Amino acid sequence: MPESHEFPPEALEPLEPPSEAEPVSRRRFLSLVAASAALAATSACEAAPADTIVPYTKKPTDVIPGVADYYASTYQEGLVPYGVLVKAREGRPIHIDGNNEHPVFKGKTSLRAQAEIIGLYDPDRLRRPLLAGEPASWKEADARVVDALKEAAPHGKGVLLLTPAVISPTRQAVIDDLKKALPGLEHVAWEPALGLTEREASETLYGEGLAPRYRVDRARVIAGFEADFLGTMGNAVEAVSGFAQNRKLAKPGDPMSRLYCFESRMSITGSKADVRVPVRPSGAARLAFAVARALHDEHGIPLPAGLPLEALNPFGLDAVARRYGVDEALLGSLVDDLAGARGESLVLAGPSLPMEAHAAVALLNTMLDAEGHTVDAAFSPDVPTLATPARMADLTRAIASDTYAAVVFWQTNPSYAVPDAEAFNRALAGVPLKISLGLRKDETARRCDVVLPINHWLESWNDYEPSTDLLSLQQPLIRPLYETRQAEEILLGWANALAAGAEAETDYRTYLMARWKREVYPAGTLATFQQFWVAAVHDGVLRRDATPRSPRMLRASAVTEAAGKVAGMDAASGPSGTVELLLEPDLRMWDGRYAEIGWLQELPDPITKVSWGNFLAVSVADAKKLGLADGDLVSVAAGARSVTLPALVQRGQAQGTVFTVLGYGREGSVSGERGANLFPLVADDGSEPFFRPAARLSRASGNQALVRSQTEFTTHGRDIAPVWSLEEYAKNARPPKEDRSLPTLNPNLEWGDHKWGMAIDLSACIGCSACQIACQSENNIPVVGPEQVARGRIMHWIRSDVYYEGPADNPQVAHSLMLCQQCDDAPCEPVCPVAATVHSKDGLNEQVYNRCIGVRYCAANCPYMVRRFNFFDYTSFITDPLDLAFNPEVTVRPRGVMEKCTFCVQRIRNGVQIAKDEGRPVHDGDIVPACAVACPAEAIVFGDLKDPQSRVSKLSRSDRGYKVLEDLGTRPAITYMTELRNPPEVPGKKSHV
Amino acid sequence: MFEATELPLPPAPASKRRRRRRGSDESFPESLRVEPLVQGDASLGKLDDHVRNLSEAKPPRSWYVALAITSLVGLIGVTAVGYMVYEGIGTMGNNVPVVWGFLIINFVFWVGIGHAGTLISVILYLFRQRWRNAISRTAEAVTVFAFVCAMMFPAVHVGRPWLPHWLFAYPNERRLWVNFRSPLIWDVCAVVTYFSVSVLFWYLGLIPDFASLRSRVKSKVKRAVFGFMSLGWVGNARQWLHYEKAYLLLAGLTTTLALSVHSIVSMDFASSMVPGWHMTIFPPYFVVGAAFSGFAGVVLVFAFVRTAMKLENYITMRHMDLLNRTVLFLSCVMTYAYLMEGFTAWFSSDSFNRYIFANYVFGDQWWAGSLTIFFNCVLPQLLWFPKFRRSVPVMVLVSAGVTLGMWLERYTIIVLSLHRDYLPSSWGTYLPTPIDFAILLGSVGIFLTLLLLFLRKMPIIATWEVKADIVHYQTHPSGPMEAEHA
Repeated sequence: MPESHEFPPEALEPLEPPSEAEPVSRRRFLSLVAASAALAATSACEAAPADTIVPYTKKPTDVIPGVADYYASTYQEGLVPYGVLVKAREGRPIHIDGNNEHPVFKGKTSLRAQAEIIGLYDPDRLRRPLLAGEPASWKEADARVVDALKEAAPHGKGVLLLTPAVISPTRQAVIDDLKKALPGLEHVAWEPALGLTEREASETLYGEGLAPRYRVDRARVIAGFEADFLGTMGNAVEAVSGFAQNRKLAKPGDPMSRLYCFESRMSITGSKADVRVPVRPSGAARLAFAVARALHDEHGIPLPAGLPLEALNPFGLDAVARRYGVDEALLGSLVDDLAGARGESLVLAGPSLPMEAHAAVALLNTMLDAEGHTVDAAFSPDVPTLATPARMADLTRAIASDTYAAVVFWQTNPSYAVPDAEAFNRALAGVPLKISLGLRKDETARRCDVVLPINHWLESWNDYEPSTDLLSLQQPLIRPLYETRQAEEILLGWANALAAGAEAETDYRTYLMARWKREVYPAGTLATFQQFWVAAVHDGVLRRDATPRSPRMLRASAVTEAAGKVAGMDAASGPSGTVELLLEPDLRMWDGRYAEIGWLQELPDPITKVSWGNFLAVSVADAKKLGLADGDLVSVAAGARSVTLPALVQRGQAQGTVFTVLGYGREGSVSGERGANLFPLVADDGSEPFFRPAARLSRASGNQALVRSQTEFTTHGRDIAPVWSLEEYAKNARPPKEDRSLPTLNPNLEWGDHKWGMAIDLSACIGCSACQIACQSENNIPVVGPEQVARGRIMHWIRSDVYYEGPADNPQVAHSLMLCQQCDDAPCEPVCPVAATVHSKDGLNEQVYNRCIGVRYCAANCPYMVRRFNFFDYTSFITDPLDLAFNPEVTVRPRGVMEKCTFCVQRIRNGVQIAKDEGRPVHDGDIVPACAVACPAEAIVFGDLKDPQSRVSKLSRSDRGYKVLEDLGTRPAITYMTELRNPPEVPGKKSHV
Repeated sequence: MFEATELPLPPAPASKRRRRRRGSDESFPESLRVEPLVQGDASLGKLDDHVRNLSEAKPPRSWYVALAITSLVGLIGVTAVGYMVYEGIGTMGNNVPVVWGFLIINFVFWVGIGHAGTLISVILYLFRQRWRNAISRTAEAVTVFAFVCAMMFPAVHVGRPWLPHWLFAYPNERRLWVNFRSPLIWDVCAVVTYFSVSVLFWYLGLIPDFASLRSRVKSKVKRAVFGFMSLGWVGNARQWLHYEKAYLLLAGLTTTLALSVHSIVSMDFASSMVPGWHMTIFPPYFVVGAAFSGFAGVVLVFAFVRTAMKLENYITMRHMDLLNRTVLFLSCVMTYAYLMEGFTAWFSSDSFNRYIFANYVFGDQWWAGSLTIFFNCVLPQLLWFPKFRRSVPVMVLVSAGVTLGMWLERYTIIVLSLHRDYLPSSWGTYLPTPIDFAILLGSVGIFLTLLLLFLRKMPIIATWEVKADIVHYQTHPSGPMEAEHA
């Protein structure tokens, strides 16, 4: 292991397996005090690799070899502080799940947060400071920076600090401290791909810069305009979990939510919509205003005070419907549904849409009493203002005009992620001192004079404020692997050095605790601050009393203005020959910050199954017109800039629109050459940044094959992923019975104490693929790279299949999770010549890696094609220290052997063993495979089929349960629940499903 | 024992002399008269001289050139295998879903070719078809060499090629046993048994010829070697008695194996549940297919050998005609099998099966299925014409076509069935790599190298059997021989 010190003696309070919430015991508390003292002592002698590696002859406190510890922490991405629970083995973090104690995340987290384990062990992380590209000591680096900053102060030149959104109160305090010491400091917070955030919309429309929480769980009727709230918009984890709650029907007649999606591109949300209307993004505002008008006219729902009805005059439902080619009856049913669900409806506008669309949506939410019910801003925290792309262009000009003596980039990468990176880099070259605080030598760091390596968040302390009644803590899981410092400490050090004489605290943990003692610790608490702190760190969250804000009041003037603006706009799309381009952050790359994480690069997009690159989604009709096929290079231009990237003919894409994602085209060892950077197409001239209504599309010469894990997207009429409407459900529901397996000549297998099984509710599954990352992390699944994926050798044990049925311009999409079905009559077992795949007494289809010689007959004979083969020595693809991310409980497979889903057998054996040790039976829910833990929709339920009362047994008897390809007689242990859709009854129209 | 007899042979094809049959005075009807199986200026001594000389004399320059080329090609193949074993299966085109690719195709292909010899030799022997005598030795050699090539593939196609012995049921300290439910184990048993019995049968036939060589060669080393290999054969009546009996028994045993081995190879597919594989017709269909490709392979070999080695008097156009008739017959049976297969797929009403069969000829790799049908069913129809059956270019064209067609048939069965099975989400494509082609070519190189060595180093005609024919024609110049075998 290169120069890493991985075992922290200062390990803090481990969380017991999350179900237990026991108070801190005295003994534990004492050990913690000792550990804290030790930490305080050791952190003073910074970065000295003092520890020698000592074998476990003397057991470190709190570390039992072979037993995992769990620590709560927080991971910030954009404006969302994910509450996470990190699993550590022998001091090494190896797996990330959601924090069960967190009232918002409830044990779920985003797939990107899960993949951050790889970020910690990224071999490309900076290991020591760099001065002009050469390794240097911290002392030299500090001296260089402080001298320069001291120089800068008297000259009246400013210092620019560019950061991501600062949603941590204590981090903000650090920046404020630095500002005090360095009055010329200008802090700009910037999230390159976030689009029009809720905060900005709220500022304009309500006069309060709040980011409300969308309570999808409370909504019976949801309407989204380009709003991929189950994918990349806002806090999708909470939205998915809320959405799924109202989609898992136990019996016909149960209430089910209804989702209307008006969108140009096929999003994850659109793929789950009950009614999906392909429409150009430019139509969103008009459609929403028309719906508002109809709500008023047909259902007498009053407009908010101050909004004249005349403002909505131009938006007749029929005219707007005609104009955008939307079925008027569908719009009518949306109006009726919304009117019938006041207080239980939610209308959302996507972050790429212009303010007018947000205004129209805010109007709808206000009319429908959503504010305070499904749109909950009662405890919204103060969210910082973020720089827009236009502001970044201004900043570029300011840098170019020699305004700043120094610029500090703190985990931001503008050399890649600004619209005009060329101008930015040119301007940057003239700045006397350029400092980068980051994990890697990214595009920006390469242009910096001083590169300071900072701690990964898994090595850091921090606090976050998800809502005014909640604080969320981040704690280190491991001592910094390299000679890095937490960024806040670097800033505090500068502040200290600049403010001559004052010896302020530079240890961030002490700083954080001090601030908490001062500002968070409630006076008159019975517990001491130490107890209070330890409990908060243990839980990862701290609930506080806060007075709810009064509901936001919509500013009628803003809506009137927006309506006027929309009415004045030419309804037709831009000049002929142009297309409407929509840009969004990528589900995996986000704004490019995850480009170096192989798991995410290799994770196929849930809708198109493309990995290792982005593409331009073109509608079927437009592709036909231009003669485009998948992979043909196209050039898309907006404003003065253009980007060339491969096209993908996307079913469901609205005609006249194109869609692509940001975050690709980074220059790194993993991301190099993969995909195209779309930031140049983001508008930085003050017009809509992520929605370009007059983009020009032309065919470029050449072809670049897309890397796809799935290439066939229709079921060919095979009954493998059925979708029922509610009427069909009522008609088809099978009477529950114990065993619906087919008759077989094979003897019935005798099970031991357990018979493990799984139930997957496809009505809840949105295909988000979080399970795939969780499985990859839990089961040491290798990343094989684009060439191997293109050859059909992706290694994921669980995959999310997607099928399109129906018309190409607006198909119905079905997601289907596919993993080893653990068949009772597994076709793989009899064909293995060496008996390397066998059946266990508890119903598992086991794969014995040691015995496998790799004849691959099992894979040929598996009708589900879930077996994965090590075509090469994929472990050799792992570079030091990525091997530290391996789960020690799962064998790393050598080349030439077959592997597949094991139902997380290591968790099963562990769970059974714990129950045995405690002399009790295994309880339902004791054992949960990684995929099921990660599933934000809780679509995956695992358990013992021998226990008739277990959740999985009950679900397996579900009246919409089926087994995939059950006619083959494989008798799978996984029961799928038919996906349900709840389309409205539209008179004269065939049901959508 | 025959060396002493030097009777003149009649100029057989041109002869108008009629001899009585079985002592009968009746003349043999003209219409039933057949071409003799030995022609021209053949006598027992000349046969010996000719055949023995081939292995004793210094081979011509062209042989060395050919050997250099084939062994180079073989070496390229071995290098490719070495690289593949070093780097992993991933160097080939295999993927998920097409987990089996060229190596299994090649395996089935060579096992098929390997049917030629034994089937010709054994079955024709049991059916008393004397025309087998002149071609049996080389045909058996084709079998043995084809099996050498075939057996290489299962060993190296496994993911961990250093552990192929785990496929054998042998007592071991790990107390692990093979899974006898797996068709691959049946396959291992069948192939290994068939190979060893084929070698044994080939060797048994060689014993009298080795003894004969031993008596002729001058070199002491060669004499010792041939002496060892002839196992003390002196050619007395007692030895002949036992020998013939052993030969007959082994022929009977080999026949059952010849039928079973490809049946069992077919069960690798038939007993799986892959659509396109899961068919009860597979065992007979595979046996016929194997015999078909085997006969075509033998025609190819003899088309060159008989002229290159001046064996036209012993391997006559009549032999080639008979071989080609068999090819034609087997082609018709194959056509029937294809039709039945398609019918079964349709009749099963199984959508997966129906899809896969349509996919063979109309899918994205339609050329594989279509060319299979063209080469195996259409092209051999040329052989209905007697002129074409005796035309070397045509028979080379047809046999080469059949050989290619049968390889494509295995490609169709293996790749096209796997690449689009049950779940469309898992459908994939298969793109062979240069390594795949190098290994395929290499196996051809190894086969041809072994064949070339055999042709110049061993008695390529079973002289003791052909001598009996010669004696027959010397005594019955125009009588049909086929019916009279004792």
